[in-house]
Amino acid sequence: MIEVQSLTRVYGDRAVVDDVSFSVRPGRMTGFVGANGAGKTTTMRMIMGVLGPTSGEVRWQGRPITADVRRSFGYMPEERGLYPRMRVHEQLVYFARLHGLSRQDAAARATDLLEHFTLADRGDDQLDDLSLGNQQRVQIAASLIHRPSALVLDEPFSGLDPLAVEAMVDLLRREAKDLPLLFSSHQLDLVERLCDDLVILSGGRLVAAGPVDDLRDQGADRYRVVMDGVDTAWLRDVGGLKVRDVDGPSALVDLDGLSATDLTRLVLDRGPVVEVSRARPPLSEIFKEAVR
Amino acid sequence: MSTSTDRTSSTRTAPLWRLVAEREITTRIREKSFILSTAFTVLVIVAAIVAASFFQDRPSEKDVAVVGAEASAVVSAASKTPVAESDNLTLKAKVVDDADAARAAVRDGSADAALVPTDDGFRLIGKKSVDDTLQQAVSGAAARLTLEQNAAAQSVDLSTLESGTATKTQLLEPAPENAGAREAAAFVMVILFFLTALGFGMTIAQSVTQEKESRVVEILAAAVPIRALLWGKIAGNTVLALGQVLLMVAAAIVSAAFAGQGNLLADLGPALAWYVVFFVLGFGALSTLWAVAGALASRQQDLTSTTLPAQMLLMIPYFLSFAGGDAVREVVSMIPIVSTIIMPGRMAEGSVPAWQIGVAIGGTLVAAVLLVRLGTAIYERALLRTGQKLGYREALSIEGT
Repeated sequence: MIEVQSLTRVYGDRAVVDDVSFSVRPGRMTGFVGANGAGKTTTMRMIMGVLGPTSGEVRWQGRPITADVRRSFGYMPEERGLYPRMRVHEQLVYFARLHGLSRQDAAARATDLLEHFTLADRGDDQLDDLSLGNQQRVQIAASLIHRPSALVLDEPFSGLDPLAVEAMVDLLRREAKDLPLLFSSHQLDLVERLCDDLVILSGGRLVAAGPVDDLRDQGADRYRVVMDGVDTAWLRDVGGLKVRDVDGPSALVDLDGLSATDLTRLVLDRGPVVEVSRARPPLSEIFKEAVR
Repeated sequence: MSTSTDRTSSTRTAPLWRLVAEREITTRIREKSFILSTAFTVLVIVAAIVAASFFQDRPSEKDVAVVGAEASAVVSAASKTPVAESDNLTLKAKVVDDADAARAAVRDGSADAALVPTDDGFRLIGKKSVDDTLQQAVSGAAARLTLEQNAAAQSVDLSTLESGTATKTQLLEPAPENAGAREAAAFVMVILFFLTALGFGMTIAQSVTQEKESRVVEILAAAVPIRALLWGKIAGNTVLALGQVLLMVAAAIVSAAFAGQGNLLADLGPALAWYVVFFVLGFGALSTLWAVAGALASRQQDLTSTTLPAQMLLMIPYFLSFAGGDAVREVVSMIPIVSTIIMPGRMAEGSVPAWQIGVAIGGTLVAAVLLVRLGTAIYERALLRTGQKLGYREALSIEGT
């Protein structure tokens, strides 16, 4: 488990990351979201040790993290970068060996990863002869090459077409099954689909962190009511709830004092019911609310 | 907890820098431009040495058209005069009928000169000019022969007449043998030192900047202690530079041996060995400075200004070695780092007191340690600063990241 404790980075008199704490648990994908300039990249660079924190620390398995532990992490920086004039396979082998793999192991692993991305036949090409999408795949392969003990991926899906995103998701599910995985993304639908945990930053400060389910439940007690052929406008006159939206037979209400049982009873008394269900806000709404 | 301290404590630094060095070397020796420029340099060295020994001291033979037995005897004797012998010149007499035939022979080039008897001696005839050595040898021989004949005719004992006239020259500080060739060798050594050090220095700087430009440095820094990156880069390029220097020295030795310059080689041998030693010292001392220049730049264009300090450290001694007088060179050849360029040249030209060599080496070693320390500190601070060019002072004032 990676624990970020009170991490702070100050440039001049501006705190780009301000007292941020959260943890990245193994076997759970943790999504890292926030507007541009919220401090995600700075936080990730501090986790990887390429940037020193002004204060606070990063811990690994309950102890302060060391350089050797960091070396075992897989990292994909926001600003992509590999050697443009180096052959793809050779390049992956080089990074694997820098991470401590033997030459043979590194070569086998590079071949395996290139095959997964259907790039096996491009191994002898120079990186800059590949399309941008394929270069991105190689970048991802480079972060996985040494069978990392944790993954820190800054915008791993940006610039990928939908098929490549799926290949990437498959690979991450396979490679990072039991690993702590932190990835940042602006694609909230993707984060919603993939993530178990969520960390939201705004203006350098942590605004929410925890399991996605908990965060979605945290908001108001929201229920969807759908009746069969009955206009739901009558709900506006009921006490102990607030109507968010009414659209003919369906309505969205926030309970405010009334229990779910009471609501269901009221609806049943009114006429034929299609649905009374808990409505969890989509991630985009949580996000919007959190960073407001 | 500062990251730089736990990075240095990493126990796996040694094999890591070797991996980095390996990549530097394999990448470079695959480049066509590198192979071509190395081959070209070696070729130029071989060609220069072969050409120089071809033109220098080559046994030459010159034909002199002569009229009459006396002139013929003079020409034969001329080949044995000291001046002809030292220049390896052999003169052959070609007997012709008369002065007109002799002139014709010179004019059509079948003879290099002609010697015809006149009323008061001989006349040496050339086309546009007469070779200096030929002229001295012939006139010397003519004077000697005539003198001997005259002495015999007058019954004078020439040796008695000449007794006590001999003047021998003694030099208190004789120029070493092959002085010209040795000066030329020193000249070439300085130029090659300068060019090789500059070339490989720029390679270090460019390769560092390239990693910054392509952002690959971010992954590297996460995977490897920054020091290991620096050491690897320096080690790789120093090995390459040393390899090239050894190749050049070997080419020089082999071609000189084949060109029959054994004597010169024996004189220059120690200087050549020291040249290699001084090159490694000088290049090693400056290597961190080149790496720092690369780390301060954010684009290749920035290198023009960031490499200036390292370039100046090579340029100044380079110019001094040509423009400076002996006294200036003697002093400068003991200044740390600068000494490494000038000292091998001085050693090639003549003997240098051992203590001066010691001062040059000792000073450079101390300077190297200081430069490497300072350089490593700046490098670690500047490497991950992308976006804009940094100055040396600015980089030092960055807090450790």
